[in-house]
Amino acid sequence: MVIDWRNLSISRQILPAIAVIGLVIAALFIFSGLPDRALAEPEREPARAPADLANKARVAGSGVVEPSSELIQVGSAVSGLVTDVRVDPGDRVLAGQVLFVVDDRIARSILREADAAIVQARAAISEARSARTTAARQLALYRSVDDPAAVSRAEVIRAEGEASAANERLRLAQAQLQAAQARAASARTEIDRLVVRAPIAGEILTVNIRKGEFVSTQGGGNAQAFIEMGQTQPLHVRIDIDEEQAPRVALGKPATVSPRGAAERQVRANFVRAEPLVVPKRSLTNSAAERVDVRVLQVIYELPASDGLFRVGQQVDAYIPAGSAAK
Amino acid sequence: MIWIAIRMLTGDGQKFYGLVFGIAFSTLLITQQLTIFVNLIERGASSVYNVPTADVWVMDEVSRTTDVNYPMASTALDRVRSVPGVEWAVPHLRAGASVRSGDGDLEGVSIVGVDDATLIGLPLRMVTGSADVLSQPDSVIIDDVGVARLFEDGRSPIEERLELNDQRAVIRAVADAIPSFTSQVTLYTKYSQALRYVPGTRNRLSFVLVGASPGVTAGELATRIEAATGLRARTRDQFARDGVDFIIQNTGIPLNFGITVALGFIVGVAIVGLTFSLFIRDNIKQFGALKAIGVTNAKIGRMVAAQAGLVGLIGYGLGVVGTVLFIWSFSANPTFKGFYIPWQIPLISLVAVALILALTGWLALRNVLRTEPASVFR
Repeated sequence: MVIDWRNLSISRQILPAIAVIGLVIAALFIFSGLPDRALAEPEREPARAPADLANKARVAGSGVVEPSSELIQVGSAVSGLVTDVRVDPGDRVLAGQVLFVVDDRIARSILREADAAIVQARAAISEARSARTTAARQLALYRSVDDPAAVSRAEVIRAEGEASAANERLRLAQAQLQAAQARAASARTEIDRLVVRAPIAGEILTVNIRKGEFVSTQGGGNAQAFIEMGQTQPLHVRIDIDEEQAPRVALGKPATVSPRGAAERQVRANFVRAEPLVVPKRSLTNSAAERVDVRVLQVIYELPASDGLFRVGQQVDAYIPAGSAAK
Repeated sequence: MIWIAIRMLTGDGQKFYGLVFGIAFSTLLITQQLTIFVNLIERGASSVYNVPTADVWVMDEVSRTTDVNYPMASTALDRVRSVPGVEWAVPHLRAGASVRSGDGDLEGVSIVGVDDATLIGLPLRMVTGSADVLSQPDSVIIDDVGVARLFEDGRSPIEERLELNDQRAVIRAVADAIPSFTSQVTLYTKYSQALRYVPGTRNRLSFVLVGASPGVTAGELATRIEAATGLRARTRDQFARDGVDFIIQNTGIPLNFGITVALGFIVGVAIVGLTFSLFIRDNIKQFGALKAIGVTNAKIGRMVAAQAGLVGLIGYGLGVVGTVLFIWSFSANPTFKGFYIPWQIPLISLVAVALILALTGWLALRNVLRTEPASVFR
């Protein structure tokens, strides 16, 4: 068939051509318009099971990093104004190092009072001693006189009385000294109690008091701890394991732990202990009305030293091998 | 000889265009209605397909679709992670909430909480902004259909403030997502943030999204998870299918569209059948003459087949092009976002067209075959 351009037929040539071209374009449109439903790899690395557990029985848990001493919320034995804070967050302290000092003016004035009383008591003692000496010599003088007519009986009795009174005064003064000393000692103890010291060696994690603030011995409520510290070398991690999974955990085996947000950096953590008490899961949703009926076994692992990868309070994901008996 | 048949066919313009129109119309009706039907019920699966990374979805035993779900306890995540073959597992929250927009309107939204660390669960592409905005406080990502619903006056949604459960939410990006069946506004945010936006019940975890280890198929993994945890695990395709089935079971859509498609078929048969029969009957003398000069029945059959083929080609082509034009011209409309023509549907309408032509051609041909050569002289 030769196409005769002068005698081109709409129905015999143009329409079929349009139909064919239209079909080709439609096919292209249809195949280019098909939705892309291919599976994609996640852009950011999610927490994955370590290679050696990938296809083995295992238990997964999530947990929180804590100091190996657990978190110590340092309290104050007495209430009062803070006059000095000697540590900053991040400081490493030794056991007994001063953390902060509470206003000690009252205790110091009591101490000064007691010191003055000591001086006073000492003076009273020496005064009593000299009085006793005088009285003793007077009595001895009267006693050495042989002539009964020279000294009246009454004189002697008075001298004897003075001597014994001087003795009593000395004892009184000594007792007063002891009392004053005791008062001074208790004032010193009080002053000592106003200085809050680190209970153990460790790292200061938070400092929630500043100079001039009032610390109270009354905790509770929403009160923040004044200073939180703990031993961060090494760090521990407390892994929550669903009670349903708890029997499967191979206790004693090391766990693989990775922090949230850096799932590709996995570390091996050695087993420390499992808490004997199964507790309700603490969900970190910050809702006051939160109620839970999921209970978890808490297992504690020791994290290896890692510069800044893990921080206290951080959430982690962990994989633990399951026991051989459990399937 | 075939050429004679074609000339015979196009000789009568009225009947020829009638035939082409009949085929084109029924092709258009069948293709277009089937396309809309498929796309509409696939909206039930769009939430599943919007998550590009998950091989398996794990949910409570009673959950049915992405929107009909019953939350699990938060430790379900760890239980799923404990199953061998699970490469990774992340929490996923889906819940409804009410939002008060900047100008005080109330709008029902669905909140999607994605894993905080990896952002798994977000749609693949963003229209404006990037997924990283979720690291800013109180950020949410809105889907593009939501923009059309919440910001009808065309202003930019970026940096707009919303109020969700007495909390502030700032829109910082727009996601490119296929809308759900109900075209609800969807807000994507971090899981921890979503917990604050959704009024609380005790359990919040709606789904656990799971990636399979290399070498483990999704189906195998789903079976394993179900056996080990007692939760319901569905592969991506199964779960998408669940969403579609839910719509099929709970709406009258399949029946309505089925009726329209059947009507398209019947109209095609009626128009084409009538016209074709008339055409053949008009030309019965010519066929008789052909028979008289010794053309066999088989040859005549081929001639009629060629006529039907030409009509079918043109009609079908125009019908499919019409459907393509329809979908193309509405592709900018948010209601039709993501509509596509599944390649199976033009094939189905091709089969339907072939069926119509075969049926009517056979009916018309019966007379021709019975014609005696002598009829030309009557």
